[in-house]
Amino acid sequence: MIDPLTHATVDAPMLADTLSRFFQPDTLARILIEGLGKAAIYFIIAIGLTLVFGLMGILNFAHGAFAMVGAYIGGVIMVVALSSASGAFTRIALFIVVVAVVFALLTAAGSALEIKLVRPIYDRTPMYQILLTFGVGLILEELARIIVSSRGIQPEPTWSAAQATIPGFLSGPSDVLNSLFGVNIRGFYLFAIVSGAILAVAVYLFLTRTLYGLYIRAGSEDPEMVEALGIDVRKAFTIVFGLGTGLAAVGGVFLMWDPTWGPSVMLNLDVLLYAFVVVVIGGLGSFKGTLVAAVIVGVADSFTTWLFNTGIVAFSGLPEVTIFLLLVIALIIRPQGLYGVEEVGGH
Amino acid sequence: MAISPTRRPDGDDDTDARGDGGTESASGQPATDSLEESQVATDTTERTTMTEEPGGDDAEGAHWTVQYARDHLAHVLVIGFFALYPGLVAVLTGIPALDIGFTTVDPGAFFDAFLPAMTFMIAMLFLGLFAMSFDFISGYTGYLSFGHAAFYGIGAYVVVMAANGDIPIVPEGTPFMLTLLLGATVAFLVALAIGAVSFRLTGVYFAMITLGFAQVIYELVRNWDYVATNPQEGPSMSGAAEIGIPYVDSLSFAIGRLAGDSFENVLGLGIDISATLTSYYAIGLVVLGCYFAMQRIIHSPFGRVMIAIRENEERARAVGYNVFWYKMAAFGMSAFFAAIAGAMFAGYRGSASPDSTFYFLVTADALIVTIVGGIGTLAGPLFGSFFFESLEDILSSQQGGLAPYLRETLPEAMLSADVAGITFLDVINTVVDGRAPLYLGIVFVLFVLFVPNGLLGSVRDRLGGTVAKRLPAHLERYRK
Repeated sequence: MIDPLTHATVDAPMLADTLSRFFQPDTLARILIEGLGKAAIYFIIAIGLTLVFGLMGILNFAHGAFAMVGAYIGGVIMVVALSSASGAFTRIALFIVVVAVVFALLTAAGSALEIKLVRPIYDRTPMYQILLTFGVGLILEELARIIVSSRGIQPEPTWSAAQATIPGFLSGPSDVLNSLFGVNIRGFYLFAIVSGAILAVAVYLFLTRTLYGLYIRAGSEDPEMVEALGIDVRKAFTIVFGLGTGLAAVGGVFLMWDPTWGPSVMLNLDVLLYAFVVVVIGGLGSFKGTLVAAVIVGVADSFTTWLFNTGIVAFSGLPEVTIFLLLVIALIIRPQGLYGVEEVGGH
Repeated sequence: MAISPTRRPDGDDDTDARGDGGTESASGQPATDSLEESQVATDTTERTTMTEEPGGDDAEGAHWTVQYARDHLAHVLVIGFFALYPGLVAVLTGIPALDIGFTTVDPGAFFDAFLPAMTFMIAMLFLGLFAMSFDFISGYTGYLSFGHAAFYGIGAYVVVMAANGDIPIVPEGTPFMLTLLLGATVAFLVALAIGAVSFRLTGVYFAMITLGFAQVIYELVRNWDYVATNPQEGPSMSGAAEIGIPYVDSLSFAIGRLAGDSFENVLGLGIDISATLTSYYAIGLVVLGCYFAMQRIIHSPFGRVMIAIRENEERARAVGYNVFWYKMAAFGMSAFFAAIAGAMFAGYRGSASPDSTFYFLVTADALIVTIVGGIGTLAGPLFGSFFFESLEDILSSQQGGLAPYLRETLPEAMLSADVAGITFLDVINTVVDGRAPLYLGIVFVLFVLFVPNGLLGSVRDRLGGTVAKRLPAHLERYRK
């Protein structure tokens, strides 16, 4: 009979072998660190989506397109400003500047978009907001394709010149990790973990220590009450939509250096689908849920990638299938997500 | 002019047969009607809102087929347009170039650039059917099926794999029409399986879980080397797909751009029918059949419950309908027709690939044409699809597109006119040539913002009812 995982049929000795290979410290360290690195990236691309949904109830289908725009803008700045002689410190410093610039630019663009396009259709069913943002995503993708190809760069696959601006100590195996665990893990994952942690803390502080964070948390719980208390919800919507867009773009800047992604117009849909998975598993609108779900998805990704890379499973689509299966299973077992509120998102 | 009071109920019986079932206020009122007939000249707007059926005047004694054709006037016109379209294109694009002294005028090339070519019209047919099936579930029950591409893909893969003998039990050489039904049935069953878990959710979560399922299937198919030697490219079909009556050679027509049947000098009329035209008509017939099947379902009591679910699911449940099974059945049927569309797509192309069948963007295309055409109107997606393919054709970079036409027709001086270092030719190459998705995106956003009911939905709002019902009355008015 036909079995999609024909090659995956596991016999007993092979299972034992797999287990023994899995429980070696270096393997575990690799899976965990790569997984957390991926989780950090997933968190960065998903957190903006969940904030926007939590407050506004809008599932932003242009999220991936904003990440793509961020990746390209970041790439342009990096490629133009850097020469091949630039040192690692310059590259990292410029990267931080780029993150700030892209965040500011796209936050402004996102706010403008919310005022001009999204605001007129709040009173319609959620479907139209999905459709509108999806259309905006399509337009951005095509514009990127036109601009990129008119500069003589291939829109797909990735723009390697931008990817190559990563300093050598991040693209190669990390010395720190090698001395700690004795395994060769790409330094980028450590960089992603650190950056992701900083960003998560920043978003957490924004949510818990600022006025607008308070509005977002309150608005996610009970938007009508927030409005009744005299808070200008429209302004809060604009700001949050802008921030969500800016965070998506920051995610894009990180993807620019990520060896498995890189700037390409395909980011539009790929980022969107992955961000959906993380957000839905964690619970739409939940910060904690997004964090936990990102870790689950990231570790599942790195574990299945390991299974495939070591040849234990010969099915090349394993990581992707696993990630989308996680989405389906999460929706079956716990439709509202790990930390979601039951009513949010129903119709 | 007199209306016999008994005429109305008869008319209703007939119209029920045409599947409209919408007899909301049709239960007679001959008195109002005759009153209105007398003041027809004075109050025309009143008339359109009050007339339920096309003026029943000379229908007295008319054969039921006449009445039937009259009720279906809108259908007849649309079908007639699509049936005559190939001839229209052939005539218009065949107009020879004219030399009018200072320049040559080539209307043929002009029409070639702006009218969608037959290959695009065929694509319109599958896309239209697929979008109708998407609209069937999303527009009528209100559940956005974001994983609809899965069913399209199942239809496509089943026919291709069956033709290659890759499906167990199904012998190689099974007629295309049977494998098409097999694919549709498989899709129906898969939809029931997906629906069984998905219909516990609503709104955004339903959209997400169906999307999740479709992506899982997409990734599986894309990496499973049983379906094709290179699963990323997808399988190719051996032999041609034949639409028609299985096992009757004279009533089966092979479809495909190259593999299709072509006929020369049909019936001694001197008309040649190319392989493309054969495919167009054969696929068109299947689409037509599917359209009427879906239309019949929507206008049946079952369809009324679907609409009730969209409008207020709680109330439909409270009234006593088992909404879960209604939703399941609607989803299954929708998948059935989606698979037929996919099967014809693969049959015509002779191949299927994961990215052109199972991928999320395929659903997105259906979504776009549904919105443009009118969500919640069954024929709307077909018009949306016609619009979509026209745009694709006009902006296509091949012969018959606008870009090659402009490059050929515009004078050289204009093309190379330099404004700030950018020539007009550069503009054509970057913003016209093959840029359909960009304009489609823009049109789509404009529709969402300003024409949320789509083309057909807006026409309906204008007419105050479905086109099929209103059109005869409107024509009647102009005849008098």
